[in-house]
Amino acid sequence: MTSSSPPLLPPRPAPPSARRSWRGALRQELFATPLDGVISVLLLAALLAAGVGFWHWAFRQAQWAVIQANTTLFAVGRYPLPQQWRLWLLVALAAVTTGASWGLLRSHPRADRSGTLWPFNDLVAIAVLAFLAAWLPAALKLPVPLQLRWWAITALLLVLRGVAGQWGGLVPRRLLRFLPLFWPALYLFGMVLIAGGLGVPRVPPSEWGGLLLTLLMASFAILLSFPIGIVVALGRRSSLPLLRWSSVLYIEFIRGAPLITLLFLGQNILGYMLPGGWAPDRVWRAAWVLTFFCGAYLAEAVRAGLAAVPVGQLEAARSLGLSMPQALRHVVLPQALQIALPATVGQFISLLQDTTLLSLIGLLELLGTARTVMANPEFLGKNAEVYLTLAVLFWCCCAALGLGSRALELRLNPSHSPT
Amino acid sequence: MAASPLMIEARGVQKWYPNGFHALRGVDLSVSRGEVVVIMGPSGSGKSTFIRTFNALEDFQEGTITIDGIALSNDLRNIDAIRCDTGMVFQQFNLFPHLTVLENLSLAPVVVRKRRRAEVEAQALGLLERVGIAEQAGKYPGQLSGGQQQRVAIARSLCMEPRILLFDEPTSALDPEMVGEVLEVMRALAADGMTMVVVTHEIGFAREVAHRVVLMSEGQIVEAAAPTTFFTNPQHERSRQFLAQIL
Ligand SMILES: Nc1ncnc2c1ncn2[C@@H]1O[C@H](COP(=O)(O)OP(=O)(O)OP(=O)(O)O)[C@@H](O)[C@H]1O
Ligand SMILES: [Mg+2]
Repeated sequence: MTSSSPPLLPPRPAPPSARRSWRGALRQELFATPLDGVISVLLLAALLAAGVGFWHWAFRQAQWAVIQANTTLFAVGRYPLPQQWRLWLLVALAAVTTGASWGLLRSHPRADRSGTLWPFNDLVAIAVLAFLAAWLPAALKLPVPLQLRWWAITALLLVLRGVAGQWGGLVPRRLLRFLPLFWPALYLFGMVLIAGGLGVPRVPPSEWGGLLLTLLMASFAILLSFPIGIVVALGRRSSLPLLRWSSVLYIEFIRGAPLITLLFLGQNILGYMLPGGWAPDRVWRAAWVLTFFCGAYLAEAVRAGLAAVPVGQLEAARSLGLSMPQALRHVVLPQALQIALPATVGQFISLLQDTTLLSLIGLLELLGTARTVMANPEFLGKNAEVYLTLAVLFWCCCAALGLGSRALELRLNPSHSPT
Repeated sequence: MAASPLMIEARGVQKWYPNGFHALRGVDLSVSRGEVVVIMGPSGSGKSTFIRTFNALEDFQEGTITIDGIALSNDLRNIDAIRCDTGMVFQQFNLFPHLTVLENLSLAPVVVRKRRRAEVEAQALGLLERVGIAEQAGKYPGQLSGGQQQRVAIARSLCMEPRILLFDEPTSALDPEMVGEVLEVMRALAADGMTMVVVTHEIGFAREVAHRVVLMSEGQIVEAAAPTTFFTNPQHERSRQFLAQIL
């Protein structure tokens, strides 16, 4: 209040030095000291040499005919040709659902954020998708009608992304809460399409293979192990001793044994443990083993999440009159699952890779298919091409999972401020 | 006054923690409708334990507690009914960080009382107005200052239209310049006739707002008196020691 106190200063923009040019940044990051410079140059040279060598091998020496001749086998195994329209329909539906969900998410940014309709990340994703659609079917030498189908499916996805993004704002926010339900519904419908039933001719699991079988096994285990993990994690903290002990027993039994032994064990004894119709053949038995395996690890992830939610949250919910199930459902679990999300997705990613073990019990998923292809005398010595393809396929699936979970994490994180 | 003016009646409450610690040693307290009782006492004297028994966040082994005519027993339905009627404000706010301010307020009325969301949100906005932060309704708790968070917590309790409000050191986690805005809200509630039990060390609030000040020590009530008597002419040696420390 005294006249001698200095006036408060208004903010002013940062000086240019704080906003570095990319060239200045490069110099500072890579060549700050002579030693930094030497290390940078050596590393760059090594990367360059490896890159050039790889490029030379992949586009000069490698003979991709082994892949081009077997695309169907790698994609769906021995799924009967006349029935494959069902899989195309499923892919198209998945593209529609993906495009619509993606667009709707963008047209409904979180209440406390502005959000843009076409963020940079989306543009990159669209560019990558468009490039893949244009290049991959041709590179794989697919017949022209199939190439056209892939173009159409990609176009469908992108158009729906655009439409849902542009006009999705008309859908009230309350209905948006049901959006996640579309995915399990699509999944169930997809199961009917793949396996048959409800008037669609049956295709027995022994005829599924390749990427189809891999994705089917992984997604089945992911979807079912999630609720199992939550229930077991809650059971482990329950006040009922019997429930607590059986949860601990389950977790420790599964985590104490390597997956491969469980898979072999499952082939032999699961038939006695589950009701008859549930594990009718080898494929379903393996699926259940994967599910219970992943469930035990998820339970530990969720337990860590539950432990990280302060007790005050439960007390606040209870003192507002919420019952225990209501408090768990609305207050504790959402926070616990959010904390457990990175560990959960890590678990899903390793599950996806663990599906390769199924080849050891004789299932023709991606690795099993690859091994039959490599055993074919016509393609002898083409192991590198096949394994590289497999690695890239798995890498793409895992990257998709990782990117998706990262986006979800950002959207859920309340303290993340918009940029 | 109504037929049963007593909102809280605690008789001979004894509480042992599972480790055997005797936290409440025969506590008696009656709180009438519209009364504001401030509980003071040194750290570890059992203040939190005591008011947390009122809405069954803590159990007790002996004695009786009656809340607005309903006896606190192990009957779960009683406990749920009592929790709906007693709001609690915590030292650490305990807002739900994954929900917006408006969702924090409307969760319990929608989930527990099964009221329509639109109607609850209108009421919630009114309450936010009353505690002076209507413009923050769409934000998440992490984006608010401590004082604002505590005012949201008070509004959240009020949204269930409780007949009793319990406060456990509501201003102890706040920076000094935010204490005033929270006490202001509590003053207004007291003036509106809300029955309140407040654990606090805010002497000014106790002097001006409380009808009765209660001093706890080692799990017992040492002295209960009107604020003027309590602060100027305490009867017990322990009260004098305690006041000497905090005044
Ligand atoms: N879960 C528990 N198990 C065992 N002892 C406990 C437990 N919680 C509290 N106590 C003990 O009970 C006594 C009373 O605790 P309480 O939290 O009620 O004190 P308080 O008066 O609220 O203190 P403060 O002013 O520090 O909040 C303390 O001595 C404390 O150590
Ligand atoms: Mg306390």
